[in-house]
Amino acid sequence: MKILLIEDDAETAAYVANGLREQGHVVDHAAEGRDGLFLATESPYDVMIVDRMLPGLDGLTLVKTVRGTGVKTPILFLTTCSGIEERVEGLEAGGDDYLIKPFAFSELVARVQALSRRPPLAEVTTQLKVADLELDLLARTAARAGRDLDLKPLEFKLLEYLVRNTNRVVTRTMLLEKVWEFHFDPQTNVVETNISRLRAKVDRGFGCDLIHTVRGAGYMLHVQS
Amino acid sequence: MFKARLFRNASFRLAALYAILFAISASLLFGIIYWIASKALLQQTHDALARESSALADDFQSGGMDELVRSIAERLTAPELPPTYALLLDASGRKLAGNLDRKDKILGFIRLPRPPRAGREADHDEDNEHEVIAFGRELPEGAYLLVGEDGDRIDEAKEAILRAFGWGMATVLVLSVGGGILISIGFLKRIDAINRTTRAIMAGNLEDRVPTQATNDELDQLAANLNAMLDRIQVLMDSLRQVSSDIAHDLRMPLARLRQRLEGGKLRSMSEPEYQHILDAAIEDTDNILSIFSALLGITQIESGTRRKAFIPVDLAEILTTLAETYGAVAEDRGQTIVTKIPPGATVRGDRALLTQMFANLLENAIRHCPEGTQITLYVSRKCDFVLASVSDNGPGIPKEEWTNVFKRFYRLDRSRSTSGSGLGLALVKAVADLHGATLELSEAKPGLQVCLKFPVSREGCKAIDHAT
Repeated sequence: MKILLIEDDAETAAYVANGLREQGHVVDHAAEGRDGLFLATESPYDVMIVDRMLPGLDGLTLVKTVRGTGVKTPILFLTTCSGIEERVEGLEAGGDDYLIKPFAFSELVARVQALSRRPPLAEVTTQLKVADLELDLLARTAARAGRDLDLKPLEFKLLEYLVRNTNRVVTRTMLLEKVWEFHFDPQTNVVETNISRLRAKVDRGFGCDLIHTVRGAGYMLHVQS
Repeated sequence: MFKARLFRNASFRLAALYAILFAISASLLFGIIYWIASKALLQQTHDALARESSALADDFQSGGMDELVRSIAERLTAPELPPTYALLLDASGRKLAGNLDRKDKILGFIRLPRPPRAGREADHDEDNEHEVIAFGRELPEGAYLLVGEDGDRIDEAKEAILRAFGWGMATVLVLSVGGGILISIGFLKRIDAINRTTRAIMAGNLEDRVPTQATNDELDQLAANLNAMLDRIQVLMDSLRQVSSDIAHDLRMPLARLRQRLEGGKLRSMSEPEYQHILDAAIEDTDNILSIFSALLGITQIESGTRRKAFIPVDLAEILTTLAETYGAVAEDRGQTIVTKIPPGATVRGDRALLTQMFANLLENAIRHCPEGTQITLYVSRKCDFVLASVSDNGPGIPKEEWTNVFKRFYRLDRSRSTSGSGLGLALVKAVADLHGATLELSEAKPGLQVCLKFPVSREGCKAIDHAT
């Protein structure tokens, strides 16, 4: 993957760039807003990672400008501001996701992965299907191997998110934000508990497991061949 | 310093201005009195001279020249009368009687220099200044009579008036200037008290207050307002100091633990997985410290009130239902149950994310601090002009005397010290409740604890609700 990183803090930039390169990605780095804007509009990237506080040109204006030129590349904001206001501002400016510093590297990778393979927005689906698991998005029901799964609304939402990110790691924080819309860190193991409940309904008694735990990173729905 | 300031201060300047104005008007008044009095005195003298002259003329008519000469001599030597002057000339201009020496026969009122008198040489200078006011008339047979009086009397009267005026002016000036100084000193003393206090506060003595008197005048009101402002500032400073020391204190522990862990790993030679374990633990410690920071920042941000401008209608019933579903499994794993009493439609204006976090905190608190078998109840209800929401449990509850403390930052009950947590959860609950103008109350659930939140809402649709219930 070709990734553009616009980040002024040298240490964070090196940490992120080296990490991504180790994973086999190509990373271009700009330490300043104007340089970043030049790179972003000149050459195509798969994902851009943009710090909100930049010298020269701030991240918010940069993203607005990039979007104004018609570039559709997914953008991940990095920020030290944790307020919801800032998050909303970032998304309204044209960012696709938002990550608060300091972050775990696995979290960044998971989010970059999720962004890079985003389906086109216009695609409207009423059904999702992975192996023998079927989700009816209109009736909000799920069935596996033809057998209906008795899912609560939130369990369905959780499963839908996992299915939409099949073969990709989703972190605990991503699940909290996207499924529960929790923008804080709960003091109980609410994600783990709900995943294990979902597992009991989706995987128990079906031979092969779909929901897997990725140690130190999060969860992944994938089909073992 | 004080003296210089005295003349610069406003009340003294006002007093001085009044003194000057009063002096000018008094001078005008005295001037008029002086002028009128002088004229009256001169008139009086003229009348007296005319009367005397006629009396002497009568003597001449009745007794002839000899009688007149004797009468003049008598008058001039009479000790009880004021120094009087006279001159009698016959038709040829020869002096027949009198103590003046003149040859010409001027008629009517004239002023003459005062002739030197016996035994008054020492007053020579003064004599030159004084005049004799005289009245000349013709007598039958060409004789000429001049009677005069010393101008001294008028001058003395004038001097008396001037003296009175002088004393009066002096008294007025002394009183007004002195009074001005006294008033100013009183004023300056109170201003100085205020200045002293502000300087003391700037020097760090925050408990100092401006002294007030019971007069309730403008200065007193100013002092009272200053004191009220200082009280407010002190409360803010105290809370800031409290927070700073809390942060310092509560971050030391996890940092010390982290250091210990890292040092322990460095001292002992260990296997790769052991190192891995230590690093994982160190990262977890760091995450805890970071989460304390972001919780603090979050609370500060909430307390600033800027989120209020993004308020939208939020259905508390929906939030609580979702939370009950989310945490149902967590509670179940701990042998607890979550019960909901949530009729639909309890909308308040607020920040959805914060309200979710607030109720999640309360619910997690109940789950984490209550034993197995506890029943946790989520309740919400729309009343006439408020929405009531509560999270209650039938667990051990908390002692009544701790009720006000639990909402303070970093405050932790003794029995919860062993469980993880930053001690910021309920502080955030309080901050969010305050942001929404909601009252936050703890009460006994008998047994257990009930946390009650009362959100104000508009009275719109009041009647429908009243009828329904």
